[in-house]
Parts: sequence; structure tokens; C-alpha cells
Amino acid sequence: MSEVVHGLLAPFADIGSNPSFFAEVLIGGVAAGLMYSLVALGFVLIFKASGVFNFAQGVMVLFAALTLVGLIERGAPVVVALLLTVAVMVLLAVAIERVVLRPLVNQEYIILFMATIGLNFFLEGFGEMLWGANVKRLDVGIPDTSFKIGSVLVNRLELTAAITAAVIVTVLALFFQKTAIGRALRAVADDHEAALSLGIPLRTIWTVVWSVSGVVAIVAGIMWGAKSGVQFSLSLIALKALPVLILGGFTSVPGAIAGGLIIGVCEKIAEVYWGPLVGGAIENWFAYVLALAFLLFRPQGLFGERIIERV
Amino acid sequence: MSVVARPVTAGPTGSGAAPGPLLEVDSVSVRFGALMALHQVSLEIRRGEIVAIIGPNGAGKTTLLNVISGFYHAYEGRIRFAGADRTRLKPPDVAALGIARTFQNVALFKGMSVLDNIMTGRLLKMRGNIVTDALWWGPARTQELAHRAAVERIIDFLEIQAVRKTPAGTLPYGLQKRVELARALAAEPQLLLLDEPMAGMNVEEKEDMCRFILDVNGEFGTTMALIEHDMGVVMDISDRVAVLDYGRKIADGTPEQVRKDQAVLDAYLGVAHE
Repeated sequence: MSEVVHGLLAPFADIGSNPSFFAEVLIGGVAAGLMYSLVALGFVLIFKASGVFNFAQGVMVLFAALTLVGLIERGAPVVVALLLTVAVMVLLAVAIERVVLRPLVNQEYIILFMATIGLNFFLEGFGEMLWGANVKRLDVGIPDTSFKIGSVLVNRLELTAAITAAVIVTVLALFFQKTAIGRALRAVADDHEAALSLGIPLRTIWTVVWSVSGVVAIVAGIMWGAKSGVQFSLSLIALKALPVLILGGFTSVPGAIAGGLIIGVCEKIAEVYWGPLVGGAIENWFAYVLALAFLLFRPQGLFGERIIERV
Repeated sequence: MSVVARPVTAGPTGSGAAPGPLLEVDSVSVRFGALMALHQVSLEIRRGEIVAIIGPNGAGKTTLLNVISGFYHAYEGRIRFAGADRTRLKPPDVAALGIARTFQNVALFKGMSVLDNIMTGRLLKMRGNIVTDALWWGPARTQELAHRAAVERIIDFLEIQAVRKTPAGTLPYGLQKRVELARALAAEPQLLLLDEPMAGMNVEEKEDMCRFILDVNGEFGTTMALIEHDMGVVMDISDRVAVLDYGRKIADGTPEQVRKDQAVLDAYLGVAHE
């Protein structure tokens, strides 16, 4: 018994004995966490504005990355390819509003959810049809190398990704809290009918929201694609966004950020220090266990609006 | 908005210099499948007046408000607002015309502060800026402050200063109704539709709400149509009363006229079968 306790506690001594290594682990965790946040943000935006849980968010990340790489491969300069990809994602948002959301307005949420599952498979197939199914390399011009700050090793690509994610996340948070259109988005999220009666056009709002989460998907796609190549498994990182959402709350932008960071950091620390005790690979399931614990004690998440139902 | 005087006499004025009614509902029917929720209902609302719409439960009162504000569409008949045909408009377009409303079950944005709730009422006034405000911080900010000032006046007017920063969903019911009125007023509507503004209130809250409704009407000249069950309130504040029963309008006149109307008495008290 005491050996088990000793084994569980020993990593704390490791953390204490090598603080600069711990800092590296921490930075790695924050970098990964911000990328989770980015994917989770796409979910939160759409969920807030339309109450739809967009199952296709992960595939949107894949689709955005595929489009970008495809365009670059066909000889488009990076900037042009990026602008075209933004245009494609906005067009996609318009099409989704027109073809999927508008005919299904006032339907049960579960039906809209099913529609996004359909969207998921459509985009997956459509992306492969357009750009092919093989793994592609995405070179954004930032070397995947490291440099030292003091005694701490920092990866350039991870640092860039982290800074970009932080900027986007801040801009979006300000956008939601401080601007009139952000207020309109929150209003629509809260009560469709009341929003309509104030002259807020639902369709415009939906198009805006899907466009924004399309653009967020591009950024996420670039970051993850540059790290691990553009391939089908990119769409699976959306699964990692789920525990992030459970932690942060489905309706909270700050929650998505905090949730992402907590999960990123916790799973890295767990993997590096406690992983060896159970033979590693903690990183893959740790987030879900954390989410499960949250569901038991705080089902609305850290920042989610508390759901109180009158009985 | 310029006409503040309340016309008291009944009957249309016909042609002449006097502006026509603000809202004309002309033989409107609404049906849900086989059910006729409204059957050829006509109603005129003149500028500056307070019209009460009353009737037993299920008479079609809320349906009438919903068809005016574009949530339902007329199966037959026409709706004219300020002289122009508005039968087929959708809710956001109706709002853009200057028709604001409140809902029977308070429809506030529960997670947002009272201030933000009322600010959403200004959104139509910000049109044109709604997309650019994220990009051009300077002018958007000045405009935001101007709207903020307008909202603060409404907050003072309705005496809800103390709860400005409170999330709307946590307020007591009576206050929520008042915030909802404030949000509707923020749009500076020409016509304000109130669906049971006093439902579920105690006597004191009702008196407050009556005072606010009369003040808004007196101060801003806002034309109002309201649904209300409390007959005392209806008789006190309205210039005119329209009575619905089973989707038909059975009476329309001053409170005194309606009070004595046999059809109204029958609808409310039932008819003795001989």
C-alpha cells in the first residue's frame, strides 16, 4: 500500500527537482491546450447562436486545411490560398444556412444535430473528392525547431500556434462581450423569438456565426496540419474538444479557453510524470476522465450558464 | 410620433387632413389546420391611443398580436401600417417599421445583464453599423455611447437603476416584465404591443406598471395595444377596448360602451339557454 502511495507521490519530487523541465512540459501543455480551445471555440460559437451542436466542426477543420494545402499544391501563393480558403469557408457557411438550417428552422435540436452528422459525412467525402485522400504536408514557413529561453527549451511552431490562438481567442471574446453584433449573437442564443421581435435577422446571424467558426477552423487546421500533416485524423481532434466543452461549458467563450488550457496542461503533466507508472498513453484518455469528474460535480461546466428548471 | 393627443370619439374620420389610423387590421383570418384562430377580425389603432384587447381564454388575443408582429401570417385579409400594406412581413421587418412587442411569458435574454438586454433593443437603430462596428472601433464606440445614453434615460424612466448590472434571469417576475418593457421602448417604437404586461403581478406591481404605461403614452406619444385580463386595469388605462371571442371581434368601443355591451356580457358570463 505504502509503495503505491509512494509511487503516486514520487512524480511531485521530480517536478520539484527539475523546474526547467517542468516549465517545458507546462509550455507544451499550454500550446496544445490553446489549440484545443480553438476547436472548442468553433463549437461554442455555433452552439451559442443556434443551439446546434455542430458535429461537423472537426471535419470543417480538416476541410479547411485540405482546401488550403490543395490550393498551395496547385501553385497558389500562400496568401492567395489563405484568402481563397477564407472565401470557401464563408461560402460554405452561406450554403449551410441556406440548405441545412433554413429548411429545418423550428425543428427539434436533435434533428439539427442529425443534420450536422450528415454534414460531417458530406464534407468528409467532398473534401476527399476535391483534394484526394493521401496525407499532405503543410508548410507554413515556421520551422519545427526549438530555441532556448534561459534553460527552457521552446518549440517555434508551438509558440507561434499558441500566440495565434491566444490572439484569436481574445479578439473573439471581445467581439462577443463588447460589440453590438456580439450582443445580437448572444441575444439570438438566448431567445430566438425575442431576438426576432427586436429586428435581429436570424439568417444573417447564423451565416455570420458559421463563417466565423469556419475561419476559426482554418486557423485550427493550419496549426494542427503544420504539426502532424493534413490527414483524416485531423477531424478526430474535434473529439478532444468535447471534454474541453464539458469543462468550460457549452455556452462560454472564456470557458472554452480555460477548458482547453486545463485539459492541455493536465494531460501533458499526467503523461510525462505519471504516465510511466501505468505504461504511458495517459494523454489519450486523461481528458475524458477529467470531463467525467466534472460532469458529476459541475455539469454546467466552469463558466456555463446554470440550468435551473422549474419543476 | 408627433401626435400626442388622444382621440376620444369613436368612428373613423374618413378623408381629410387628419392622418389615417396607425394600424389597420382588415378582415384578417388566421387558421391552424382546421382551427380558425381568428375569423375576419378588423381593428383600427389610431395614433397615440391605448387600445386594450380583451376576451376569454383562447379567444385569439395573442394570435392577433402575433399576426400583427409577423410571427403568424394571415390566411386572408390585410394589415396596413401607417397607410402601407404590411400583410406579409416577417418579424424583423415588422420591428424595422417601428412595431415593438413584449411576450406573455417574459422573453428576456436571461444570461445577459439588464443593461445589455435593453441595449439589444437599440440594435435596429445601429443598422449599417452592425457589421462594421467590429472593425472601426472609434465611430462604433461613439455610437455605442450615444445609444448607451438613450438606454440610461429609459432605465431612469422605468426606475430600474438598481438592477442595471444584474443578469435579467435572476430578477423577480415583476421586474422582468418591466425590463422587457424597457427593451421594447429602447427601439423607440411607434406602436407597442404588450401581451399581458401585468400577468402574475401583485396589486402594487400592477399599479406601477399602469403608471409606466400611461407615462410612456403621455411622454413619448407611443401608441399601444395591450392584452389584459384585469378588467379594473383595462377600464382605467385604455382609450378603447376591443373584445374577442372564439376568434371573432364581438365589440369595439370606449370602456363604458363595452362594459354595457350585451354580447360582451354574454361572452364573459355565459348565455342563459331558454
